[in-house]
Amino acid sequence: MELPMADALDIPIIARGRVIMPGEDAVLFKGRGGADFRQADPHRHIHDLVLGDTARLRDLHDTPIREIIDLLAELGKRLRLEDNELLQQSFALALKAGGLAEPILRGVYDALPAMFDAVMMTGLVDKTIGLDHLDGWVPGQGDYANVSIRAVGTRQLHITAGNVPVVAAMTVARAGLTKSDILIKSPSNDPLTANAIARTLIGLAPDHPVTKHIAVAYWKGGDEFMDSQIVRTSRIDKITAWGGMSSVRHIQKFLQPGIDLTALNPKYSMSMVGSETFESDAAMDEAAVGLATLAGFYNQTACANTRIIYVESDCDEASLDKVIDLGRRMVAAYDRLPPLLSVPFTVPNRELEAELVAVALEDDFYHVEGDTLKGGFVVSKFSDRVEFYDKLSNRVVNFVPVDDLTDVLKWCDDTTQTVGIYPETIRSRLLDLFALAGVQRLVSLSGGDPMTVYANSHHMPPGSPHDGIEPMRRSVRWVVDMRPAPDGVALGIAAE
Amino acid sequence: MSISLLPDNPATWTYRRFEDLYAIPREEREKLQLEAVRINFAKLRDRIPALKKLADRQGVEAIDRIEDVLPVCFDHRVLKNYPIQIIENRDFAKLTGWLDKLTAHDLTRVDLTGVTTIEQWLARLEAYGMLVTYSSGTTGKLSFVPRSYDELGPWKFHFFNVNRASSGVDPWTTKLPTFFPGYRGGYQTMLKMMSLFNVEMAGGEANYHTLYDTHIPADLMALSGRLQAAEDRGEVMSLGLDPALLDQREAMMRQGRTRETDMESWFGKLIHDFRGQRVKIGGTFADLYRVARAGLDKGMTCQFAAGSIVEGGGGMKGYKDAPADWEEQVKAFFGVARLGNQYGFSECIGNAPMCSHGYFHFLPYTVPLLMDGEGRALPREGIQKGRLALVDPIPTSYWGGFTSGDEVTIHWEEDCPCGWGGPRAAKTIRRFAENEGGDDKITCAGSQAAYNEFMEFVAGEA
Repeated sequence: MELPMADALDIPIIARGRVIMPGEDAVLFKGRGGADFRQADPHRHIHDLVLGDTARLRDLHDTPIREIIDLLAELGKRLRLEDNELLQQSFALALKAGGLAEPILRGVYDALPAMFDAVMMTGLVDKTIGLDHLDGWVPGQGDYANVSIRAVGTRQLHITAGNVPVVAAMTVARAGLTKSDILIKSPSNDPLTANAIARTLIGLAPDHPVTKHIAVAYWKGGDEFMDSQIVRTSRIDKITAWGGMSSVRHIQKFLQPGIDLTALNPKYSMSMVGSETFESDAAMDEAAVGLATLAGFYNQTACANTRIIYVESDCDEASLDKVIDLGRRMVAAYDRLPPLLSVPFTVPNRELEAELVAVALEDDFYHVEGDTLKGGFVVSKFSDRVEFYDKLSNRVVNFVPVDDLTDVLKWCDDTTQTVGIYPETIRSRLLDLFALAGVQRLVSLSGGDPMTVYANSHHMPPGSPHDGIEPMRRSVRWVVDMRPAPDGVALGIAAE
Repeated sequence: MSISLLPDNPATWTYRRFEDLYAIPREEREKLQLEAVRINFAKLRDRIPALKKLADRQGVEAIDRIEDVLPVCFDHRVLKNYPIQIIENRDFAKLTGWLDKLTAHDLTRVDLTGVTTIEQWLARLEAYGMLVTYSSGTTGKLSFVPRSYDELGPWKFHFFNVNRASSGVDPWTTKLPTFFPGYRGGYQTMLKMMSLFNVEMAGGEANYHTLYDTHIPADLMALSGRLQAAEDRGEVMSLGLDPALLDQREAMMRQGRTRETDMESWFGKLIHDFRGQRVKIGGTFADLYRVARAGLDKGMTCQFAAGSIVEGGGGMKGYKDAPADWEEQVKAFFGVARLGNQYGFSECIGNAPMCSHGYFHFLPYTVPLLMDGEGRALPREGIQKGRLALVDPIPTSYWGGFTSGDEVTIHWEEDCPCGWGGPRAAKTIRRFAENEGGDDKITCAGSQAAYNEFMEFVAGEA
């Protein structure tokens, strides 16, 4: 591999408290958007990346969770973009490599300290695992007082997603909070955020057990040598894979009983608008703001962003004109989103533009407005989504008329994450039907103001489910300690 | 002295020998091509509704420089941008209405009475004067090429000539028994060309040997993704499909399971029966390699007469981890000196034959243009790599400008040691999407995966 590139950034491997800078064996990696970087060859550092012996988890196991929360809270205070040089570096690289515009990315980074808030973390652990279960053996009630249960830390591999840097922070926090050893495989579109957080932690508490159980490295997705070395029952207990199916597919080759995979698959999100919406201008405007917010926040790079909007509407011209009107109001409402939520794009999305041009030629079937810079929409003139629905981005959405919102059930499955609805009166008749069909979260388009809509769709109590599961609860090992039962109890069971 | 051609009717260029066409000096050819494209666009601009719409939108009134044609080239999606629901509902009036915008023929006069399948629809169109064929891409959605009998003559002349160019054997005069390890009949572009041209090249139906004497119905191709998804949900019956179609699907899947062994025994018999004779073997290179490998493993090679030819296509798509020397192995097994090959779009008549030095040379009636990632024309000089657009000025009933998803390297200087002229494309051709972070590309569950599963099954790969 060629070395060194003029503007390639040097990125260290973080190996449980040690910072290994690229040296003689450095490898140049192609980042996204020309954000190339150099790192020590991960093939030569397998033993720095994996923990191996589970006995080495003992230090973390014996550390009280309260102390861990205090440490992480202290770490959070140091994750302020304005005075953390490491984060500034990762911010600059993520800006170059990732898909987020500057004001939005800044907002995301500004939210990092809050993710390490002590009260929030305490709530998170207590809700999903239980503080007492992490620190000791918790005995059962009554007749089962002889049976104790403890949540024990594990050795984890995290294949993180790069579209939103929050994932890196969340992963570091969850590692400490589950008293687990983690190896983070960074994504090529955000190779440095996890790195910066781990290095900040090393600066804060170089010898703390939490610090000693975090490793971070980049290797190419699908690197079979790395996967075969790391994904072994002797080295890893749990894998959390975010994002692309391809990363999961590669890993699957090496999965075997004893390794638990949590695949946080790609998700799609949508909104549903009831027919009542078209009865008044005020309702149209309120729905439009809600749609603009859910489609537009983070510039539609998140899985929770609305991409398809099912509207309860007939397919005659007059009805479709109203849907088009709603689309126009939505695009106009993009201008009302604050820059930290959404901004116009500066570079067009050629592939999506080509799709839009192709369907625009078919005006019997589709109505197209807008573009991939300012945002836009396609109205289907019949009850089906566009076939390129999985490419909808750049604040372009597809409005699909349906006779009844329950018709939408056939498009829902476990890939359907967040569903925005308007007006609230339709919620009760939809909630359970859609829950059974696979959707994971129903939120509201109401409010009439972008920040209200955004807050209503994001403000969840600590420890709420993620993509329909509870990852924290799943990432510890639930161990049972059964002592001899007091006389009488055991006999009673045997007699049954 | 080079031959004299008129720009007004490029169909007639196909009557000429390919050697003479390649020998036209570059400057003369490019002038002729520009004029032909200019005339063709002027004739069709307002006659093909979809072209008019695109040209209006792009503000293109006329072609003055060849690059002007790029904004009015149809994206490859245009030939399949009907809603899939039309196919699911078998709403052939709507499908006809959609196709009507792509052709100068008036399809409102097609009698659709009693049409319930895509196959019937295509036959009805053919009876009317169309020669519509389909191909199915990676998603399973059918794209329809709106060709008609108006283009049959030049299509045939070109195809015979290009086969002479790539194989060295003149199919007008030399009829070779032909083996094709695939299906027979129907409207899939390659299979329709077989019925229209290859059978005649072989010297009649009896001389044309196919692995199966039927084909996968277009309806099954179009619905395979949806069928698989419906099957997973236990809802196949609710699709309301003709039970005969479902039976056919079962039969195809059974056939798929034994395809590899069927192919081996079928080839084995032909190899034996035609020993010492001159033959022609066609098929995808993946299939041809499979047969060759199986034969070589048994220590066999074919004993056909000298002058036999192998004409392949499709690259090694559908064969994983082929060895670097697969071409040598195919040649060694079949006992031929070269492998004939062609490259083109099913949307364009003039596919390019591969020369003795491994380049695809475009004939004058196919105008290649390259674009960068932003859709801008790349210079037509030196060696350039980009997204390929081809303009076919021959058709009189539909518009022949298309952009592809192929990344192609073109050598514009006419210095190929093989002696043929014209711009030439290098052998390595990639899908453009693969270079745009395709590895991380997220596709949703459902139809795509299900379609691929079915097709792998039918192809005997699963």
